[in-house]
Amino acid sequence: MTNDMSQLFWMCSIGGILVFIIGIYCILVTFNLIRAIIGLELLTKTVTLFLILAGYVTGRTGLAQALAITLIVIEVVVIAIAAGVILCVFRHNKTIDVKLLRNIKG
Amino acid sequence: MLSLFLLLPLLGIIALNLPYKGKKDTVALLYVLLLSVGQAIVVLFHPANFWHMPDFWGRFFHLALYADNLTLVLILSIGIVMSAAVLVAWQTISESKSRLNFINLALVALIGMNGTVLLTDIFSLYVFLEVTAISSFILIAFQRDLNALEGAFKYIVLSALATIMMLSAIAALLLFSGDTSFASVSQAVKNNCCNPIIIFAITLFVCGLFIKGGLVPFHGWLPAAYSAAPAAVSVLLAGIVTKVAGIYVLIRLVRDVFGPVGAINDILMIVGIISIIIGALAALKQDDFKKILAYSSISQVGYIILGLGCGSPLGIAGAIFHLFNHSIFKSLLFVNSAAVEKQTGSTDINKMGGLGAKMPFSNASCLIATFSTAGIPPAAGFWSKLMIIIALWQNGYHAYAAVAILVSVITLAYLLAIQRKVFFGILPDELKNIKEAGIWIVLPAATLAIIIIGVGVFFPFLFNSFLVPVSNFFK
Repeated sequence: MTNDMSQLFWMCSIGGILVFIIGIYCILVTFNLIRAIIGLELLTKTVTLFLILAGYVTGRTGLAQALAITLIVIEVVVIAIAAGVILCVFRHNKTIDVKLLRNIKG
Repeated sequence: MLSLFLLLPLLGIIALNLPYKGKKDTVALLYVLLLSVGQAIVVLFHPANFWHMPDFWGRFFHLALYADNLTLVLILSIGIVMSAAVLVAWQTISESKSRLNFINLALVALIGMNGTVLLTDIFSLYVFLEVTAISSFILIAFQRDLNALEGAFKYIVLSALATIMMLSAIAALLLFSGDTSFASVSQAVKNNCCNPIIIFAITLFVCGLFIKGGLVPFHGWLPAAYSAAPAAVSVLLAGIVTKVAGIYVLIRLVRDVFGPVGAINDILMIVGIISIIIGALAALKQDDFKKILAYSSISQVGYIILGLGCGSPLGIAGAIFHLFNHSIFKSLLFVNSAAVEKQTGSTDINKMGGLGAKMPFSNASCLIATFSTAGIPPAAGFWSKLMIIIALWQNGYHAYAAVAILVSVITLAYLLAIQRKVFFGILPDELKNIKEAGIWIVLPAATLAIIIIGVGVFFPFLFNSFLVPVSNFFK
């Protein structure tokens, strides 16, 4: 690994880990359904970054690009469905508060 | 011709959504039944020229498909459970458009599950897991009432977390292997088996699969999703979706790709035994039919993981056999709960009683499924539990074996509580006019009950021809 590569690798890793922590924090503290899926999105973006980074380090950028694009497509579908569920919840409750979504006791 | 398992359902989805008028829902039902029964028949009779014909269509997609004995078992169970679920949906959903929607989503789930069991690439595995999960999110929220939305949202969040864990693990493995196929990942793990990053990646991946399979520290979404989903969806989810998405992938990766790295066997056994105990104890205090079955599902999956973690060929064969049995008896129990829910409009077992005289088929098949779940001899579940417990004993895990046997008794207790409160006892006045559920619920229930008894009675023949080859594969 050259010096430039190494610097870039560490910058991306540390940035990625920071975004990851922000995402986790976002999911843990929020009572808002929309913010919860924003947190999930942040986590997924970090993982995409890690995949690209892994491809960059091993010199297989083509594979990493293919994986990242597939990942983005699938993530959009998941988020679209989550948004649909939130929309239905909003129509029932007139609010998107998580606390009102605790009917099922286990 | 393995790619037909993926292409035919895809073709069906496209054909069913073309803009033309006609009895689309009947055609759709027949098509999905043809596909699912067809794939069960293709496994059972094993026509050699089907399995060994060069894959003409697969060349265009560059998917490395591969079928071994474990895959065959899973394809068989997918076929059986899918046909049962679609028939139950036909009976419980009355509107033509909803039926069509259900069958479309079931076809998506069929593509996802067939892809998951056939693929030999760790990233494509993730893609097909996600396809399966997406169709099950929509299926859980199918009726759009608040409970269903809650179950679906819990599943979406936890499944997304599981996905993120698995993808991080894939990224970390990619650093060492440079490729995502099973062979190169397996090689990379073998070459760097003591590297902390590899151990971390494998642990993350396995934890993600624990979430997908609903094992105990990560089981929060499972009772909500199973109990809030419509009846037919519960059959599909409990019977096969979580088993393929969580347990099959776990078996495949732990036994075939990662190998016995670090303390993975101990982790599996501890998670398995905790799932067995907590699932059974939580099921004891529920009074909702579907919720008892959901917790029972957690407990039974624990047995599979316990057999897998034990590591001997007998244990793994027992785990795979229990996976097959579980998909049969748990779908049968959910078919029975669908029958009861359809006829009485409720799933609260305290409000029922004496339905056995009015619903004889449901009563008998529920009793057979109970025997199979608790492990009572004529039923198939007895043999798989026996194999797992003998394997545990042979490998010196005596305490685990004892707990597994004790919890079998608790299993019998909560399932007999269902039987006593729902089917035996005195019929309440408001349920006097109840009738047996329709033919499309009774037919799958009877078929599944016959499979349980048949597999149980003919087990000695199956053992040498079917289960020993399955376990030999892993040597």
